[in-house]
Amino acid sequence: MMTELKEEIRTLLEEVLPLVDLDSDFLFAELDSLGVTTILMTLSANYNIELEAEDATPKNLRNLDSITEMVKSKLPQ
Amino acid sequence: MIENYIKQHAELMPEKAAIICDNEYVDYAHLWQQVKAQADLLRQQGVKPGSVVVMRTSQTIGFLIDYFAVHIAGAVAMPLDHNIPQERFESIRQQYEGKPMPDGVADILFTTGTTGQSKGVMISHDTIMADAENLVDAHGYTRQTVFVVCGPLNHIGSLSKVYPVVMQGATLIIVEGMRDFDAFFRAMEYPSDKMATFLVPANVRMLLMLAKKRLKPLADKIDFIESGAAHLMHSDMKALCELLPRTRLFNTYASTETGIIATYNYNDGQCLPGCLGRTMKNAGIRISDDGLIVCSGRTLMTGYADDQQLTDTILRDGELYTSDLGRIDEQGMLHLMGREDDVINVGGLKVAPLEVEDVAMEMPEVEDCICVEAPHPISGSSLKLIVVLKEGATLDRKKMAMFINKYLETYKVPLTYEQTDQIRRTFNGKPDRKYYRKER
Repeated sequence: MMTELKEEIRTLLEEVLPLVDLDSDFLFAELDSLGVTTILMTLSANYNIELEAEDATPKNLRNLDSITEMVKSKLPQ
Repeated sequence: MIENYIKQHAELMPEKAAIICDNEYVDYAHLWQQVKAQADLLRQQGVKPGSVVVMRTSQTIGFLIDYFAVHIAGAVAMPLDHNIPQERFESIRQQYEGKPMPDGVADILFTTGTTGQSKGVMISHDTIMADAENLVDAHGYTRQTVFVVCGPLNHIGSLSKVYPVVMQGATLIIVEGMRDFDAFFRAMEYPSDKMATFLVPANVRMLLMLAKKRLKPLADKIDFIESGAAHLMHSDMKALCELLPRTRLFNTYASTETGIIATYNYNDGQCLPGCLGRTMKNAGIRISDDGLIVCSGRTLMTGYADDQQLTDTILRDGELYTSDLGRIDEQGMLHLMGREDDVINVGGLKVAPLEVEDVAMEMPEVEDCICVEAPHPISGSSLKLIVVLKEGATLDRKKMAMFINKYLETYKVPLTYEQTDQIRRTFNGKPDRKYYRKER
């Protein structure tokens, strides 16, 4: 389930952020403000979850795994 | 020059906080000391008065010290984008470093010219002073102002705010973009009720979309927020007025070439869409017969570096002819009606599509292409590259984006890529930009 979700998120984000290396372990460092916002907006629209500025932490956006974790924690159980 | 104020404040209020960045802090006395030492170092390194010093911009105290020091040494600062590809940085350095510039020139700022390549815009010390006076007068900077600068310091939008801060002996807090919302809010939560900042419309969008809850409690702390550089959506203007009812909210008309020209406080109960207000004290405007905004006054650029011919096309008899269409209403307020040229405004940064196309055409898979404007939910506009591929080639968006980023700044790299069979051209072979604009 986790891998599936991760790959789905990868496809979604590749579409909107062609320049970002989604395999990086330093993803947050590579993003600008537009990149951060784009990620939050794309994920919240696609999974119908509420994401806010508080979620845009370097820890949550460290890599694709941590982004997947963040999405999973917001999804209804 | 503006640096004289640093010296003055260093003598009169040495312990006043000048610049804060992350955990670093410098007061006016130490700022002046470090600027002087750095200027001495530059002289020892052989930097001559009037010659260009090329530098890579960073959102740090050190960058501003270097920037002021270049002026104190009598030289000309050329701050380049922080993520400019190294190859391009070197080629610009080779072209300009050490080159003498006309008397009185302080800076050369790069911006997108009306055609193709980026152009170096020469800004004089007098223009810097005129911009500073305009902002102090129109927005009311005082010694108590604490200004949070979150945009790139090589761009007029943010760099121009350093001037009124220094002139008034106010405090500047540098933040590295809005990427880390928490860092931005920590800066805005500084213990002062005279907070101020400059936000491009894309930043306003981001805050309204993601951080309303955190912005609202700051309503009584924020003295003013200025926006500019791109179109501010009316719905965003109204939302910000509602959220910050007592904050002065300005929409400003400015560009690298014209300097800071006009401004409008849209939190005036009327919130007029597209309004840019009245001209500031050192600026004049009129509308040309073909509807273009023509500016005059001390804030205008000296000219394009090394390009008298291009300068002559827009700067004539003390007037600067912009590519912005405008009108002035009965109250003398300026309203922006769009642009006349092909330049695409991506979140406040201007991109000439030709520059992107020239690079894209270098890719072996590309037969033909056109760079067009596409709507974007946050920045308003983004770049889209429509490509015709050579036979047998396949569309690899990531590869294309990486290729273009090898030669151009990140904001000039298209976000979306679309394959087509043919690019429509006009009768004289130029890409039919009007057709693609209608297609949007």
